[in-house]
Amino acid sequence: MALSGIQIYKMLPQTNCKECGFPTCLAFAMKLAAKQVELSACPYVTEESKKQLAESAAPPVRLITLKAGTEVKAGNEVVMFRHEKTFYNKPGLFLRLKASDADLAKKAAAADAYKVNYVGMDFTLDGFAIEADGDLSAAVKTVRGVSKRPLILISNDPAALDKALSQLAGETALIYAADPSKYETLADTAAKHKAVLTVRGDSLEALADLTPKIQAKGVEDMVLDLGGKTLGEWLTLSTQARRLALKSNFKPLGYPVIFFAGQNGPEKEPVYAAQAISKYAGFVVLDTFTPELAYALLVLRENIYTDPQKPIQVQPGIYEINAPKPESPVLVTTNFSITYFSVANEVEGSGLPAWLVVTDAEGMSVLTAWAAGKFDAERIAKAVKEFNLAEKVSKKRIVLPGHVAVLSGELEEELSGWEIRVGPREAVDLPAFMKQALN
Amino acid sequence: MQHTLTFTGENIHATITVPTNTLLADAAQHAGVDIGQPCGGQGRCGRCAVQVTLGNARRRSTLRLSPEDIAQGFALACQTVVEGDLAIYVGPQEKIERRLTTDRVVAEITVPPDYDYDQVQSIQRVHLDLAPPSLEDQTDDWSRLQTALRTQVKMEKVACSLHLLQTLSDTLRAGEWQVTAVVERNIQQPEMPMRLIEIYPGRVDEYSPLWGAAVDIGTTTITLWLVDLVSGQVKAQVAEYNGQIGRGEDVISRIIYSSKNGGREELRQRVLDTINGLLDTACKRVKVRPEDVMKCSIAGNSTMIHLLLGIPAGNIRLSPFITSVNHPPLLIGSEVGLAIHHEGTVDCLPGVASYVGADITAGVLSSGLEDSENVTLFIDVGTNGETVLGNRDWMVTCACSAGPAFEGAGVLNGMRATTGAIEEVWINSESLEPTYRVIGGGKPKGICGSGLISLLSEAFLTGVIDKAGNVNLSAKTKRVREGSHGGEYVVAWGTETETGEDIVLSRVDVDNLLRAKAAIYAGFTVLADTVGVPLESTSRGLVGGSVGKYINVEKAVQIGLLPDMEWSRFEFLGNTSVKGAYYALLDWRRRERIGDIARRMTYIELSADNSFYDAFTSALFLPHTDMTRFPSVAQALDKT
Amino acid sequence: MPIDIPKDKWPGSIKKITLGATAAEGGTRAKSITLGGQTTLPYLHFEAPTPNSPAIAIEIKSRKPEDWSPLLAEVWGEAMNDPAKWAKKAEEAGADLIVLALMLADSPDDAVKAVKSVLSASGLPLIVWGPGQAEKDNELLVPVAEAAKGEKLVLGICEDKNYRTIVATAMANGHLIEARTPMDVNLAKQLNILITDMGLPADRILMDPTTGALGYGIEYGYSVMERLRLAALQGDSMTQLPMIVTPGFEAWKAKESKVGEGVPESWGDWKARAVHWETLTAVALVESGADVIVLRHPESVKRVKSAIEELVMA
Ligand code: SF4
Ligand code: FES
Repeated sequence: MALSGIQIYKMLPQTNCKECGFPTCLAFAMKLAAKQVELSACPYVTEESKKQLAESAAPPVRLITLKAGTEVKAGNEVVMFRHEKTFYNKPGLFLRLKASDADLAKKAAAADAYKVNYVGMDFTLDGFAIEADGDLSAAVKTVRGVSKRPLILISNDPAALDKALSQLAGETALIYAADPSKYETLADTAAKHKAVLTVRGDSLEALADLTPKIQAKGVEDMVLDLGGKTLGEWLTLSTQARRLALKSNFKPLGYPVIFFAGQNGPEKEPVYAAQAISKYAGFVVLDTFTPELAYALLVLRENIYTDPQKPIQVQPGIYEINAPKPESPVLVTTNFSITYFSVANEVEGSGLPAWLVVTDAEGMSVLTAWAAGKFDAERIAKAVKEFNLAEKVSKKRIVLPGHVAVLSGELEEELSGWEIRVGPREAVDLPAFMKQALN
Repeated sequence: MQHTLTFTGENIHATITVPTNTLLADAAQHAGVDIGQPCGGQGRCGRCAVQVTLGNARRRSTLRLSPEDIAQGFALACQTVVEGDLAIYVGPQEKIERRLTTDRVVAEITVPPDYDYDQVQSIQRVHLDLAPPSLEDQTDDWSRLQTALRTQVKMEKVACSLHLLQTLSDTLRAGEWQVTAVVERNIQQPEMPMRLIEIYPGRVDEYSPLWGAAVDIGTTTITLWLVDLVSGQVKAQVAEYNGQIGRGEDVISRIIYSSKNGGREELRQRVLDTINGLLDTACKRVKVRPEDVMKCSIAGNSTMIHLLLGIPAGNIRLSPFITSVNHPPLLIGSEVGLAIHHEGTVDCLPGVASYVGADITAGVLSSGLEDSENVTLFIDVGTNGETVLGNRDWMVTCACSAGPAFEGAGVLNGMRATTGAIEEVWINSESLEPTYRVIGGGKPKGICGSGLISLLSEAFLTGVIDKAGNVNLSAKTKRVREGSHGGEYVVAWGTETETGEDIVLSRVDVDNLLRAKAAIYAGFTVLADTVGVPLESTSRGLVGGSVGKYINVEKAVQIGLLPDMEWSRFEFLGNTSVKGAYYALLDWRRRERIGDIARRMTYIELSADNSFYDAFTSALFLPHTDMTRFPSVAQALDKT
Repeated sequence: MPIDIPKDKWPGSIKKITLGATAAEGGTRAKSITLGGQTTLPYLHFEAPTPNSPAIAIEIKSRKPEDWSPLLAEVWGEAMNDPAKWAKKAEEAGADLIVLALMLADSPDDAVKAVKSVLSASGLPLIVWGPGQAEKDNELLVPVAEAAKGEKLVLGICEDKNYRTIVATAMANGHLIEARTPMDVNLAKQLNILITDMGLPADRILMDPTTGALGYGIEYGYSVMERLRLAALQGDSMTQLPMIVTPGFEAWKAKESKVGEGVPESWGDWKARAVHWETLTAVALVESGADVIVLRHPESVKRVKSAIEELVMA
């Protein structure tokens, strides 16, 4: 259980000596509760308190890292719902390839090279799952020839795995999968190569029986395949596993889970993958690679895993309301979503056409952003230039929110040739203002 | 059946005969007895209470009466009907009001009982009897004075300004070697040199006043108390809007303004003008000169202190929010630009951080929170909405930009709580007609903070506005109309007001008030959540601020400004900041404790995550989106 | 080893609401649809079954919309010129109910005519949206509500600044309303409070939390819905209402769906992408608790339907 600031404070010396770098013990305790500092920063914590605090801090879902030329992390999650804190480690997206596939190299190369840009970030797939329906080592070699991304090896033949893994020295690969009938040799192989081992079972009970046994064989890093044949089944299983780990602190199921999205055919694959991304998968394996699907899934993953504590933002840019014409008025506001919505809704509702310039104010409202220096003449001018507003409008006139009337002088200087008008303070008054003052 | 009613009271003797089931209020009216009915006879305000000393009356509603009240015969005239012969005592209205309502009136200022001028006051006035010089004793004037200070009042090492030296010889001789010196001493470090502030010729009565001033520089309102340092008594209290207000309503606007060319100097001048004006008014009231004020203790948020001293304030606003100085050294009047004695001490009290200044540390001191065993909530209903939660072991604090609405600024017909301000409003839920009370009793000029709180609450309870603050334009009264800023409600028609203009509550005002109360409420919910202490577990709610001379706790709870705890747990302290400055002015030990409070407080930055925003939108509703937080209001809504 | 699975027992549940009225119920619909009734988070059958499957609505317009993607124009073809035909086609495409969006160009008479023609062309329950401008919405929705008295339409869209007229007419004519708020738990609750304060029973409100599309803020919509659902189950009566979401509108506004040219190559095939965009937006919202899902493309309808079937199946 996570402790509150006050609970932690009670375990600290309460001397406000400042050595930890915070003005008071309570301030330090609060940072500790938010997991933003290490306990070791306070030199005066008693052993007893240290023990208690360490227990409350251990991650309920084990962190698993697959390594090759790049890295994929899964686990370390602490909440059931993203709004409670955040989801931390984005599930790795892997493409399943067959060892027997004559086009293996080509397919791997194409998927490896795939890169797509979303709001300034480049996304790629995370790795490959190679199915040993042919010579696994040869296939690994082929894939390694075109990609440096982490691998999942789908085989339960210890000898083949041993051979394949020997080629992957220095990497951490994932073996798929040990099941109750055959886990000992696979565990040995995993231990030998420091690979992560997937554990598969018919039920959560079976899985929970198996993981301690594998752990006893020296394999600490595991991934679970929960089974599940339909969306409904999988949702149930993955919710139960996550709850057991988080709420019951049930260690045998405290591992990330893997999900095969293509199991019921390509028609269903996009939806299966989407559910896995939002409902707790650590690794998602796809059977199909198309740019359009990869893009959609990568964006979904990014969305679900953004930090919800950040203010809600809309994308900066020029928004067209009610099909504006070149002579329509230009309004400016910030990219805080509620601010944007209230302005956009008022104008939209009035039926009056307008261009709405939304500046990057780091998701703050007009007043807050202005207070913090994130909505000033310079930034507005920058947005106007960056979005090429001058090319869209014929009437070079900008309406500032009334709350930042003070900026009008500076903005005039920054944007020579533009007329700066001060609009109303509240969005409700915009339509009237546009009707009366802007004609 | 007919019954005989006898009314008695101060200057009241009336008898009347009325039939059964006559309303007491009607009977009184017929008898020519005036009983005020602020809520228009709805049984909601409790102000029409009278005491039935004899006979049978039936109380339709006892909403406003406690069982003890009823046992003592109290009944609401507007809700009680005659069932037999009655003897009725009509008490003085004021007294009954106070007893029956939940108003929390600022306590009178009392001098701290442990105040000992000799022991704890840094400014001392001493009488010295110098040996006149002679041909034998050719000691210079200054050394002579120093010797007297050392031998007669044990003041070693006293420093002196050039100006005093220039007048020294005249003063000594004018007083024929009898002089009175005003000296500033450092009680905490007695080895430090003392400073001579003034010498007067002759002897001054030991008990005659020695003047000091306690000042609170609020973002919106500046308050000054003129204090006799010898007795410790406050002799005059004055307040005025901060002259900087025309340059921005909140600290951020001021900071930005100050960063402009000449802005810093202008703002400094404006605040000095306001303070010096107040000083003048206060001094006139007690017939002294501003130059007679020897010491001035100043509380204010960090921005206000920076601007007063002409220190650049730009970094307060920008991450990582660093002030130039949290704890300014002792200064003197002439360098600061205050019209007090040019050598007089100016003591700006220490703050915690950019957004938790000396106004809060001083407020915490004067509220007694830092000393309390139980968890206490301290709320400043002001522009910066500072809140402190804690007890003697720990204290957390935050500030949220509430705006000046509760100080009457930024509201169309808002004003400070002075003569002519509507300080209380009741709206009849049937007719939607208001009744109001005006400070000073004359024609209204505007509405002050406490008036706005009660107006908002009444408008909400009677459905003039909905829970989101939309004015209900379909309400059946001509007082609701479409104004230039959307819907509005007319509180007073032009014919009733001082200016001849209507006094209204507009949609924009409602929004401002809602935002202000939501920011304040959100601030302390987030604070409580951060430390994991449930709000209900706080044992006391201390309310400070310049809303007026009282706060109606019930109304403040109804609009969701204060948490819904038992009303008796609240205490209204008024301007705690100036009170803290007053304590610091008097007593060096208390002055030190303010510094200690500053060190112990933990500041919580509200912009660090979304929780404040969430709490804010949740509170942006009447009384709150989550009604389970306001059970008493849910009850009141059921009844109206 | 036997495992003790932590199960949530919630004090609250979602209100059951019924859309559309059959002849027996005073309307002319072939069948009515009941939504809500959930006592757990979405589709957690180990706690409780899903009492009512979410419904899929297809959005049609009273006139051919000029700003819709050519991909949509392609699938709906001629039918877009006639709301009655369009509604029929939508029914064939698998819709459980129809959303008819009135347009700014409509007069009150046009609006009434369009609604009546859709009502006679299709037996599905109907949601009617105004064109989205306060005054115009009121002007069109009031006569529509009167003309379709007893049909248990859903009238939309009520917002916090403009709810009184629509709520009043819904009350007078036995309809439901759609209450829309911009992606915020508190605002959603507040609007429900304002509306019920007017006297409309809560079981005649569908709440529309506004969701954003994939890549365009869906995470906020997703979390707002999860939070609303959690609050409802925890017993907060003002959030215990079924939710309507508009992934069709949201996704087809996105550049990813709307246009096929001048976009990066890495975005892949336009048509497939557009359908993915709408489908994934919709499925994410279904997972977070949507009860009515308003879509535009028949292929998305098919996929989302199949996803819902798999989720509802015990
Ligand atoms: S170092 Fe430890 S004892 Fe000192 S202030 Fe920090 S938490 Fe408190
Ligand atoms: S209670 Fe009687 S007049 Fe208000």
